[in-house]
Amino acid sequence: MSVRVVVVDDHDVIRVGVRQSLEADIEVVGEARDVEGAIEAVRVTRPAVVILDVHLPGGTGGGALDVLASILGGASAPRVLALSVSDSAEDVVAVVRAGARGYVTKSISGPDLSDAVRRVATGDAVFSPRLAGFVLDAFNAAGGEVAAADEEIDKLTEREQEVMRLIARGYTYREVGTKLFISVKTVETHVGKVLHKLQLSNRHELAHWAARRGIS
Amino acid sequence: MVGTAVVLAISNDDDKRIPPWVIPLIIYAAALVLVWSPLDAVVSADARRPDVVSLVSRDAWLRIVVGLIAAAFAVWMFAVSRFTDSPLVRTWVAVVVAVLATALLLAPWWLRLIRQVNVERESRVREFERAEIAAHLHDSVLQTLTLIRAHAAEPDTVSRLARAQERDLRSYLYQERRSPSESVAAALAASMNEVEDALGVAIEVVSVGDAPTTMAMAAAVSAAREAATNSARHGVGPISVYAELTATSYEIFVRDAGPGFDPGALPEDRLGIRNSIIGRVRRAGGDATVRSAVGESTEVTISVPREEQR
Repeated sequence: MSVRVVVVDDHDVIRVGVRQSLEADIEVVGEARDVEGAIEAVRVTRPAVVILDVHLPGGTGGGALDVLASILGGASAPRVLALSVSDSAEDVVAVVRAGARGYVTKSISGPDLSDAVRRVATGDAVFSPRLAGFVLDAFNAAGGEVAAADEEIDKLTEREQEVMRLIARGYTYREVGTKLFISVKTVETHVGKVLHKLQLSNRHELAHWAARRGIS
Repeated sequence: MVGTAVVLAISNDDDKRIPPWVIPLIIYAAALVLVWSPLDAVVSADARRPDVVSLVSRDAWLRIVVGLIAAAFAVWMFAVSRFTDSPLVRTWVAVVVAVLATALLLAPWWLRLIRQVNVERESRVREFERAEIAAHLHDSVLQTLTLIRAHAAEPDTVSRLARAQERDLRSYLYQERRSPSESVAAALAASMNEVEDALGVAIEVVSVGDAPTTMAMAAAVSAAREAATNSARHGVGPISVYAELTATSYEIFVRDAGPGFDPGALPEDRLGIRNSIIGRVRRAGGDATVRSAVGESTEVTISVPREEQR
């Protein structure tokens, strides 16, 4: 079964590049180049996944955040994979907190991007090494220290830290599973929980980053 | 006003004494009006046009000259009048009054000067910034584009040039200008960039935590650079470098996606791993391990203590 995706980016070159690099089982059903176009394309085509550039013209100036706010309501809402040239923490944290299920940079290879799309389509989270690094940084989890936080949501479990650290080191989910003697499904569960914490945690680094991009 | 002053001066007999400063004050006020009236227009005029003289007509010049003379006369009149009996106090007060009167007369000129200096400084700064940006774009982007055009038939060269340029432009735009000695994360990123440029591979660098670079950390970064170079030469991408700074140690992981080798079968004379990686890190008080097997990925783990060894 093919995965239906909508590609949103304000640069024609990038849209063409993404469309070409996706593998055969992923079908591009729509494209858009700004916030309004993206919302319309999602409404009309009802895709499974939206590949969404973080910086977009139009809307209220929030770029991807405007699109996320508008398309994520409802039962058949698509899943969103954020795509960006920027590696800045504010961008990553803001889109993930606004509801994106994954974050990859535009330097990603075709097979990896296809893989990320499939993973997001099945409801899993996609963490690039860089995003995993941000998470460890934001949760102050370097070196396996469990941070002193009152709320469960504000800290990572030891296992989640191990998974994040291996992803940051460049391991694929399968390799993480082999290394920790757990199944790929369990790895996915851990990553999903970390995503959840990233979205809901009130750790001030996250809140601060998000606030700087105008969401709460 | 002058009329009033004259009338007052004539009627100033011994019966009705008025204070001696009243007449000079009235004359001075009139002088002030005369001097300020044309200058006011100059001050509010466009401060970017420094040509003051042409803004003031001949009529205005006449008013200024008459005003200045009147003001001088008023100050002189005040100074010679016997407003108090002590000659010493009289001298001092006269001097102070003269200075204040001059300052007040020149206030519009002074204001205008300050404003003009500010405007000039701002425009100089703006011009300087523009020239900086233009110079940077010329040295970097334009040069790279020329190079890319010259190497259009060689995809590897083009992609390396584009990558290096992208990195350069990004650090310029986002002002990431921490020096390698201030930040070990910057030091690691810089040395990995050099490997990327030299060997034309892509290296993903992720750093968690940051601190000023100690000698031990610098050794770890050099070892990581050697490991990444090995991976770039013998392995396949993507190459991942992950660095983590904890309370007690600094660890770097360098990993490629294969094809791996048998670390046990390594000949003694292979200096790369033995000397440049393991030896260097041990001398810094840390340790390094190389984990690999034929047909699998290779991962080099480098760890040095955070505090400097003494």
